[in-house]
Amino acid sequence: MKNPLLDDRDLDFQLRAVLHADALLTLPAFAHVSAADLDAMLSTWRRFARDVLLPTYRPMDEQPAVLRDGGVVCHPAMKALWPQLVDLGAITASRPLGVGGQQLPLTHVTAGTLYLMAANLSANGFAGLTLGAGHLIEAFGSDALKAELLPPLYEGRWTGTMALTEPQAGSSLADVRTRATPTAQGHFLVSGAKLFISGGDNDFVENVVHLTLARLDGAPAGTRGISLLAIPKKRRAADGSLVANDVKVTGLIHKLGWRGIPSAALAFGEANDCHGYLVGEAHQGLKYMFQMMNEARIMVGANGVATAAVAYQQAVAYAKDRVQGRPPWAKDPAAPPVRLVEHADVRRQLLRQKAIVEGGTALVLRTAHLADLAAHAAEPAQRHDTERLLSVLTPLTKTFPAEKGFESCALAVQVHGGYGYSSEYPVEAWLRDQKLNTLHEGTTGIQGLDLLGRKVVADGGEGWRALARAVEAGCVRAERASVPAEWTRGVREIAGVLEEATLALAGKALEGDVPGMLLHSADYLDAVSTWVVAWLWLEQAAAVHEAPLRTAFHEGKLRAAQYWLATELPRCRQLAALCVAGEDSYAQVPEEGW
Amino acid sequence: MPLKILVTAKRVEDSESKIRANPAGTGIVLEGLKYKMNPFDEIGVEEALRLVAKHGGEVVVASIGSKDCHEQLRQALAMGATRAIWVNHAGPIDQLGVAGCLMKICEREKPNLAILGKQSIDDDQNQVGQYLAEWLGWSQATFASKEESLDSDAEKSKTPALKLTADGAWVTVVREVDGGLETLECKLPAVVTTDLRLNQPRFSKLPDIMKAKTKPLEELTPAALGVDVTPQLTVTSMKAPPARKAGIKVPDVAALVDKLKNEAKAI
Ligand SMILES: Cc1cc2nc3c(=O)[nH]c(=O)nc-3n(C[C@H](O)[C@H](O)[C@H](O)COP(=O)(O)OP(=O)(O)OC[C@H]3O[C@@H](n4cnc5c(N)ncnc54)[C@H](O)[C@@H]3O)c2cc1C
Repeated sequence: MKNPLLDDRDLDFQLRAVLHADALLTLPAFAHVSAADLDAMLSTWRRFARDVLLPTYRPMDEQPAVLRDGGVVCHPAMKALWPQLVDLGAITASRPLGVGGQQLPLTHVTAGTLYLMAANLSANGFAGLTLGAGHLIEAFGSDALKAELLPPLYEGRWTGTMALTEPQAGSSLADVRTRATPTAQGHFLVSGAKLFISGGDNDFVENVVHLTLARLDGAPAGTRGISLLAIPKKRRAADGSLVANDVKVTGLIHKLGWRGIPSAALAFGEANDCHGYLVGEAHQGLKYMFQMMNEARIMVGANGVATAAVAYQQAVAYAKDRVQGRPPWAKDPAAPPVRLVEHADVRRQLLRQKAIVEGGTALVLRTAHLADLAAHAAEPAQRHDTERLLSVLTPLTKTFPAEKGFESCALAVQVHGGYGYSSEYPVEAWLRDQKLNTLHEGTTGIQGLDLLGRKVVADGGEGWRALARAVEAGCVRAERASVPAEWTRGVREIAGVLEEATLALAGKALEGDVPGMLLHSADYLDAVSTWVVAWLWLEQAAAVHEAPLRTAFHEGKLRAAQYWLATELPRCRQLAALCVAGEDSYAQVPEEGW
Repeated sequence: MPLKILVTAKRVEDSESKIRANPAGTGIVLEGLKYKMNPFDEIGVEEALRLVAKHGGEVVVASIGSKDCHEQLRQALAMGATRAIWVNHAGPIDQLGVAGCLMKICEREKPNLAILGKQSIDDDQNQVGQYLAEWLGWSQATFASKEESLDSDAEKSKTPALKLTADGAWVTVVREVDGGLETLECKLPAVVTTDLRLNQPRFSKLPDIMKAKTKPLEELTPAALGVDVTPQLTVTSMKAPPARKAGIKVPDVAALVDKLKNEAKAI
């Protein structure tokens, strides 16, 4: 049987029954869109993902790109896939009509993208990066720069990259060293080296534009001195032709996963002839990047969910097919063996995956939905409130699917037993792919600091209160729908526990003990994520109770909700206690004690 | 001469859904089913689009069913069909009713070609195209296929497999027959029914999906077409095929031959 990638019923349920996402179509921004358009988009993307993208996944994993004569040679499948991804709208579906996009709700586009990612995350990665690069230019570039760069990027004639990381500047982008010197002609001469640049070069389009963080000559030190430049692999000469722009691929990284998309080391300006074009104003680069971060981080969360989902689907199919052993209480050794799915411990592993995958899907879609409202809601006050909640949820959406998704992929391997560890089966590859999601776009450590040090305490705790209100609204919905009262009570109790912990931690900071506040920021992130996902399971349970008909799918939903609320939510108490107590084991290990 | 091609887009159960007979044996369980365009029809739409891309003209897509079949009409429009005809009919209909409606549509539209799926994957009748050609008195070529493989350059460059003669009066059709391929020349107008190896249908482009809703969709009914679609056939029972019995191991060839001869009576 073909791997369905995701459960269509679940996507439909989440969009329609949980989020009522089609209500977005009443907003003026989506007046040109009908529900039938969105259904057609989703069904086309999912068919393409299943029939075309998935069959290319293994070959691309097994034969990564190589560096040949200074250029990157990608897997030949990309040549055929790329124009199809472009036609499908993988780059432009959510972009405004005015720049050649289709201006569809990000919620539905994200749902569709889950299929593309689940089928072949590397192939889709080229589109995601091109979208990211184009979006930066669209939002901050001058008209001239937009006219020059947006059409080729959005039409997929060129691809884009995000060139931030340098060897000494990974998590800490303040330490970026790439330099840009102004010239009388208006462009900048760039020199420097970038590392890990995904899609840093390819052989299926004629040009690549690197959205690059660099320091202008004389820029102030630190985060306030970083600018954003667009640096094309080939620049436009006076006669309109494209000529080499002194951008060199100096190496490709051999990596654990994501092998279908190259991660390159780049050198700008080795011959002192690399032209860069300032995007927006000088020294605003990091600010621009941060403004784009919500969407980029939702997409990392989506990758996490998609990768866990495809592995889960494989595990379910395997568990329903393979027979092995008999229940411990079976007396007759000649009785026929049972299927894996009949063993209690395999069921535990499957339900845990389901809870993570569908809980993560709920989180990712909720965040995308908030992004739609923050951008397009009619009332300015609603846009403002939504933006606030969105910014609190973003580090969770980035992290939960990545961290728990890795565990989920590991469970998918576990369900396969030894076969899962062999490359005869695809689950090992998804496990490898998944690891990246805890690293790029800000590591989990950085997300923990962002959530506790910045987001929840912003504006005297407005961030926390926005989140608490949203969760309470979910509890009220669950009550109205007659979800078991103890489920709702559990979520409310932990809301109280975490609110107290947040206040205590903020208090530490007020007393000048910032290290004490942040010591357990990872545990804080874990606790808040677990609770937020419990809220979203509660809302899914509410949507089941609201449905006129109860199906086996609904029954599965309720059991997954029950699982998360019974087994995961209680952990939040212990995590909160660690945060507040400032348990200091790792802080106290002396340098020579490691 | 610009072409006019009529194609069909039947809404059928998606073969990825679990299809089961209902307990009463009167039909299938509808709950939880997904639907899609009959894959043979999709191939017909694709072929028609390639033909008009080469020769000019328009592709008209028709579907008979409840409003749900708009989804399939829209898919054909998003693929590139020019306009749609919806025969609004919610009840049961058999192959005679379908062919009757299509005949009336052909009489109104006067296409040069009607390209239909050779059968639909729901009840696999394989009759409508033949009835239609017979009743219209048109030539027919069933099971149209492609000489080249689906990995060939001809397929990659989206060359139509059906070839029109220079004067536009005849169409050359390669058909799949037992053990090989047969080539027919049919005088136009003609009915052609598609087999699976004719082409690989395209995925609609997102901008075209968005445009589909602005394309004309005409509503008709069997009554308006003057067709009585009262079914002439009734389904008396429907049941799943018996589950396959587990295999057995035989000790040697002699035992195998014996079993084949005396138990299975296969030789
Ligand atoms: C396959 C791949 C693709 C990538 N694609 C791109 C790309 O397209 N563009 C791009 O610009 N970059 C890309 N990156 C780079 C990626 O964003 C960085 O690797 C990431 O930001 C981490 O930086 P680093 O590797 O230098 O690790 P470090 O910053 O050295 O981090 C190492 C560890 O220390 C922790 N740490 C660091 N600082 C702190 C702190 N202040 N507080 C607490 N803990 C801290 C981190 O959480 C991490 O666990 C890619 C990386 C990979 C592996």
